[in-house]
Amino acid sequence: MALPLAQEIIFGLVIGSYIALGAIGFTLVYGLVNMINFAHGEFVTIGAYVGFLSIQIAGLPLPVALVVTFFGTAVIGWAIARVTFEPMNDAGAVPLLLMSIGLGLVLRNLIRLVAGAGGRDVQVGVATYRFEDLGFFVTSQQLFIVGVTLLVVLVLHLFLSRTMLGIAMRATAGNEDLALVSGIDTRRVRNVVWLAAAGLAGVAGILLAVAQEASATVGFGQLLLMITAAILGGAGSPYGAVAGSYLLGIGIAVSVAFLPAGVTAFGSTMAFVVLILVLLVRPGGLVNAEVRTT
Amino acid sequence: MGGAPMTLLDVRDLDAGYGDLQVLYGVDLDVGEGEYVAIVGPNGAGKSTAMKTVVGLATHMGGAIEFDGTDIAGLEPQEIIARGVGYVPQTDNVFPALTVEENLAIGGYLLGGPPEERLDAVIEQFPMLGDRLDTRAGNLSGGQQQMLAMARALIPDPPLLLLDEPSAGLAPDLVEDMFDHIDEVNDRGVTVVIVEQNAKTALRRCDRGYVLAQGENRYADDGDALLADPEVRRQFLGG
Repeated sequence: MALPLAQEIIFGLVIGSYIALGAIGFTLVYGLVNMINFAHGEFVTIGAYVGFLSIQIAGLPLPVALVVTFFGTAVIGWAIARVTFEPMNDAGAVPLLLMSIGLGLVLRNLIRLVAGAGGRDVQVGVATYRFEDLGFFVTSQQLFIVGVTLLVVLVLHLFLSRTMLGIAMRATAGNEDLALVSGIDTRRVRNVVWLAAAGLAGVAGILLAVAQEASATVGFGQLLLMITAAILGGAGSPYGAVAGSYLLGIGIAVSVAFLPAGVTAFGSTMAFVVLILVLLVRPGGLVNAEVRTT
Repeated sequence: MGGAPMTLLDVRDLDAGYGDLQVLYGVDLDVGEGEYVAIVGPNGAGKSTAMKTVVGLATHMGGAIEFDGTDIAGLEPQEIIARGVGYVPQTDNVFPALTVEENLAIGGYLLGGPPEERLDAVIEQFPMLGDRLDTRAGNLSGGQQQMLAMARALIPDPPLLLLDEPSAGLAPDLVEDMFDHIDEVNDRGVTVVIVEQNAKTALRRCDRGYVLAQGENRYADDGDALLADPEVRRQFLGG
């Protein structure tokens, strides 16, 4: 018997959460560094391995490991961007894009070389809560994943709307030249963007490692979904990216459940279909341009 | 008046442009403390480029730019702004997605946020903004955006304010209003330099004017003297 809709929506929220944590960073980099970062998936992969190391090797409890992964991946990602993208910041979008494609490939294979081709399991205790009457269940892990993501979105919102640096970030996304002559150090803003983007990708990585496994391609497998969600929400808008992610996540879960197996067997093909439709019908995304940078 | 005022902005023999393209050839500007100076001239004369070079947005190719006695040529824009130069670009001079209040906050970025008394001071100067603090700047009219752009630049209380074509795109009745606001800013002790297409109005309002053409200085004199000069009138003011 097919699972009830409530169950599919729970799965969708979980999938959407992984996507959202990656898509926020992707879209921030798009809006503030003016580049499409195809190596963003590798930040997720790095996070998965930092998570694996902190839980399986260092024996840290999950919440602590999560914080370690956020900061660890933030610094690693920032350092990578510092030596690759930052020196060619003025080169324009296409060279940066090409650099990111090459960088992603190199990182992916480097990780495979160091960590091995197989996946690494991360063991965390899981409790399952069943709601027999309503016909669905939810695990502590799923609640944790969605809860962490919502917390991240809340903190991000407060940062962007209440702090001077957050407002400066939105200002820079809207008009970099005016930001410069308003006294904003846009290089510092870019540093913060790389730290935040990589850190959040790292959180997505550790959550994926816990729910699935850490492997050299775990992040790359998410890349297309993250890009689709970001475009769906209006590229450059973090709020749009979150909305796009959950829409995509629920869309994938529900379509897998209700469409014939032959159609959904392609997995992320569905994301491609959504991406193509959005680009054709509403290239600016769901959010209109005026609120894009907020 | 007790003689010439102290020089605040001293530009000497400035060569500048964008990338490899040179636009300015040996431009001189001398702006005294408290003065109100207008730079006029035909399209493509390099007026805006001169201003952009002073704030570090255009490429400095040679010559000196001294502000308050120190050389600022070739510094990054945010370093120049931090030294007390306020700048309002001609277009795209507000952050449309940010509220009026957030735009003003950005003006105080270098101070770690806008000081309360500076916010009060600019809102007193531009009362219209006080009623619209939560409005998105993109939803303001052109004239209101121009006021907001000026207010944002004035938040750090800069000794020098550079305005690039403040009357551009404004309805005729708003142009005089805008110039009144500039007079008021200058009356409060801020040294003002404006670049203006609207040459007659600018020269009538300012203390001194520079006429640039083809990237070079042509005339420099008191505003009224330039307005009265038959050669200037014939060549640059349409008779």
